[in-house]
Amino acid sequence: MIEVRDLYKSFGDNHVLRGISLTIPRGTTYVVLGGSGSGKTVLMKHVIGLLKPDRGEVMVAGKVITGLSGRALTEARSVFGMVFQGAALFDSMTVLDNVAFPLTEARKGAGLSTDEVRKRVIAKLEVVDLGEEVLDQYPAQLSGGMRKRVALARALVSDPQIVLYDEPTTGLDPITTDYVDGMILNAKRRLGITSMVISHDVASAFKVADRLAVLYDGHLAAEGTPAEVRASKEPFVQRFLSTWFEKQ
Amino acid sequence: MILFAGETVAWALRPPFRAGLVLQQMAFVGVGSAFIVGVTGTFAGMVLALQMNVALRQFAAEGYVGGSVAFSLARELAPVFTALMITGRSGSAIATELGTMRVTEQIDAMETMAVNPIHYLVVPRVVASLLMFPVLTMLFNLMGYGGAFMMGVFVSRIPIGPFIFHTQELVDQHDVGAGLFKAVVFGLIVSVITTWRGYAASGGAKGVGEGTTRGVVASSIAILLADYAITFVTVGA
Repeated sequence: MIEVRDLYKSFGDNHVLRGISLTIPRGTTYVVLGGSGSGKTVLMKHVIGLLKPDRGEVMVAGKVITGLSGRALTEARSVFGMVFQGAALFDSMTVLDNVAFPLTEARKGAGLSTDEVRKRVIAKLEVVDLGEEVLDQYPAQLSGGMRKRVALARALVSDPQIVLYDEPTTGLDPITTDYVDGMILNAKRRLGITSMVISHDVASAFKVADRLAVLYDGHLAAEGTPAEVRASKEPFVQRFLSTWFEKQ
Repeated sequence: MILFAGETVAWALRPPFRAGLVLQQMAFVGVGSAFIVGVTGTFAGMVLALQMNVALRQFAAEGYVGGSVAFSLARELAPVFTALMITGRSGSAIATELGTMRVTEQIDAMETMAVNPIHYLVVPRVVASLLMFPVLTMLFNLMGYGGAFMMGVFVSRIPIGPFIFHTQELVDQHDVGAGLFKAVVFGLIVSVITTWRGYAASGGAKGVGEGTTRGVVASSIAILLADYAITFVTVGA
């Protein structure tokens, strides 16, 4: 579904990605683990075409999206939904308008009546356990966890094939973290979505991942199933994972 | 910035045309700035009338106060002052709003939802500015002339007949049109610079603040430079 080939990206002298290659099969949840500033978000932004690599390419559903621009890039992105680290809800809009945005503003939503849009929004809010009472609220009136849920509902409303999650559990309490993990699993189970999750939360990663990668110093230090990554002999991987596993 | 302006023009010509967003921005830029532009216009006209009266009285030409003020307002003061006032009020708000949207990833989110942010955020602000700068400039003209009339006729006791007669003699539609043309140019300059500064902001709250400051300063200087250039070309040395 997603194939990243030999991706390089630098910002000035800061070489963030140094030859990343990975494959995410359809219907799987793929987690990229790594420390702060390791380039996880940069990698994700390449996958959806928000950044252009210095070298390498990204293929989505068999099409190379690297180098696309304008309408072609817009169309390539129509298979994606994305949940940003800070939710990135439009703070001048209500929850209804936020979740409805991909339907009312993107071309693919053309032709839907206001009632249909409202029904779809309510249906997606139900998936993330939110009721109609939040429809008229603004993001500033919601808790951090609720904002993440609204962001996921917005990512799902146009029925994407792929959802990208940027640090979905950062800054959340353990109960909400557990809830968000459940949401990611639920989205895969109920909707068959391919997911790419960027995280430094080892516990969450091992809970939701079908496959895992650990990003370190611009390259993948380990890659495989959770069990394979857990068994990795790479010193950084062992040190990174031990921060959580030793507590268990 | 030139690339950004070019992209804005290209997107402005493509459907869907979001009339609702343009109206929202017209209300923000236009209606929202009407009070401050009206107050500035009134006081500018009043002060100008008092000064003109002192100068022209020496030549026994007080009757020309109304015309002189109206001419200065129409060609120079109204478009320049209006543009500077809108830059301070609306231009700074535009740069801050877009800058905040940029650093909180709202603009990235829009892109991932297959909506072009320049089309959705920038085009309505530029179109609204192109439409509202001339309207507010006319408001400045009217309030400024009203202020000059009050000072000239009621305070300086200039007879009402010569005050109005010489205004009609000195000012015609070409003078007003020249000012409105400048207003359109200033609208384009301010909206493109402030949206660009906001759109390109980075580095959190500090970056947004710097972007806003740069947007306001660059717009103000660009207004003065453009005013000089247009006047030089149309009036000559």
